[in-house]
Amino acid sequence: MSNAIRLRVEGIGKVFTRRDKPSVEALRGIDMTVAEGEFVSIVGASGSGKSTLLRIVDGLIAPTGGRVLVDGREVDRPGPDRAMVFQQDSLLPWKTVVENVAYGLTLAGVAKADAHRTAQRFIDIAGLQGFEQHYPHQLSGGMRQRVNVARALAVDPKILLLDEPFAALDAQTREIMQTELLSIWQETRKTVLLITHQIDEAVFLSDRVIVFSARPGTIREEIPVPLPRPRSLHLKRSPEFVALVDRIWTLIEEEVRAGLKQG
Amino acid sequence: MRRLYEFLEQDTRAAGFARVALSTVLVLLIWQVVSMLVTNRLLLVPPAEVAVALAGEVEQGAMWTNAVATVTAVVTSFMVSVAIGVAVGLALASSRMLSLTGGPVLSALNSVPIIALAPLFIAWLGLGFASKFVLVIMVAVFPVVVTTEAGLRATDKQLVEAARSFNATPLQIFSTVTFPYALPFIVSGIRVAWARALVGIVVAEFFGSFAGFGFAILSASQTFDTARVLGYVIVLGAMGLAGSVLFAALERHLAPWRQE
Ligand SMILES: Nc1ncnc2c1ncn2[C@@H]1O[C@H](COP(=O)(O)OP(=O)(O)O)[C@@H](O)[C@H]1O
Ligand SMILES: [Mg+2]
Repeated sequence: MSNAIRLRVEGIGKVFTRRDKPSVEALRGIDMTVAEGEFVSIVGASGSGKSTLLRIVDGLIAPTGGRVLVDGREVDRPGPDRAMVFQQDSLLPWKTVVENVAYGLTLAGVAKADAHRTAQRFIDIAGLQGFEQHYPHQLSGGMRQRVNVARALAVDPKILLLDEPFAALDAQTREIMQTELLSIWQETRKTVLLITHQIDEAVFLSDRVIVFSARPGTIREEIPVPLPRPRSLHLKRSPEFVALVDRIWTLIEEEVRAGLKQG
Repeated sequence: MRRLYEFLEQDTRAAGFARVALSTVLVLLIWQVVSMLVTNRLLLVPPAEVAVALAGEVEQGAMWTNAVATVTAVVTSFMVSVAIGVAVGLALASSRMLSLTGGPVLSALNSVPIIALAPLFIAWLGLGFASKFVLVIMVAVFPVVVTTEAGLRATDKQLVEAARSFNATPLQIFSTVTFPYALPFIVSGIRVAWARALVGIVVAEFFGSFAGFGFAILSASQTFDTARVLGYVIVLGAMGLAGSVLFAALERHLAPWRQE
């Protein structure tokens, strides 16, 4: 595996200005890189601008300062090199699972038969076999998030952007989804940038954890996770794991408190 | 008895039919009883006599002539209403300016009893198809305009953002997100429009025409033929019910996720 830099975020800042309301500085001076095939997580208090950064990287909104480079090329709009899994449910309710997974491909002009064939591959990877013709409302929350992940993977992006993908799931389902995400990552070797507010999730999945400060979001610290791979859920009981989680929690605690005061 | 009740409560097609059948039988029964108490045949006739009158109309061919006149007029004007309604709703939803200036005019028009202007339309457009056509459109178009605009504006922002994330063009966002999202809203407007169109056609035929259900009802009531009046009213009711059931089913089919 090469160590080429896939994603470079340079001095990103974002100020939201709205009529009749005070402007909000969501991000300030964010500098970070993600190497090819690396799994990086961002943790931080809610409101610290994590989703905003991800939407800037995806090209959905423009930063007020700085720039984003993918393989050295500046990003100014969404592109096939990045795919996002959103925090909120974003499957099309009138489309079946296979149609939803094929959605990005059909938008890109891929013929239906080919799109469905590719979709089927990622349905298999995501463990959704047998549910191809179901509609999202017929699936559990965990299944729906698998569809979201499969839909993002189906367009074969270089970078997978995940915004708290498991936040809405119960604890057991979340742990299962974490191990499945790891095995998908091992299989597809995507570069992953994940947002979560669960510190143990970040440590369990990542090569590196980036801790955000409260608003405006800045990078408080970057913490490498030197735990061996492949990882299984047993790792969460190991002393090294617990120590890392503890360290990050201490770092983030005052930021969370500060965030709570800001409201 | 309890088993029957549970069956009727089900959300299946068979149960739906059974419910309609049951309420029809109930209405007929009450009607029969009341007509045995009210013996003045000018005021009320029992169901059997109405059936006989309807059969007579069918035999003479009057039913067919009237049906052709009413159904062709109402179906064409209804379809044109839907087309106009969707187009205007689209325009209103896509332009804030247009919505702000045109919206109040439309709601003013919508609250005027346009039906009352039927004699005016007939004076302008003469007896025949044109006046029916315009009157039906005037009453049926508004629910479609309103629901189309509302449906297009209601679009889930999260779905639009996901489409944009996949590089969708504005046209693709419209065709894969905004429009499918609005479709069940639009169909609910169409359902209301059908009921209004039926009222519109009958009123138009009252005031000026030589054929059609409205014309037949008016002429029958002028000769105090209550059985024939009720017969045609029942036919109109059946048309209304058929449309309502059809469009409600379409709505459910288009948005199954809303039920659960
Ligand atoms: N479109 C927007 N307009 C105005 N303010 C926004 C907008 N999006 C986010 N914000 C604000 O920016 C801050 C960061 O939000 P967000 O990125 O969603 O945080 P996080 O994902 O870390 O919880 C919040 O204070 C939020 O209210
Ligand atoms: Mg967020």
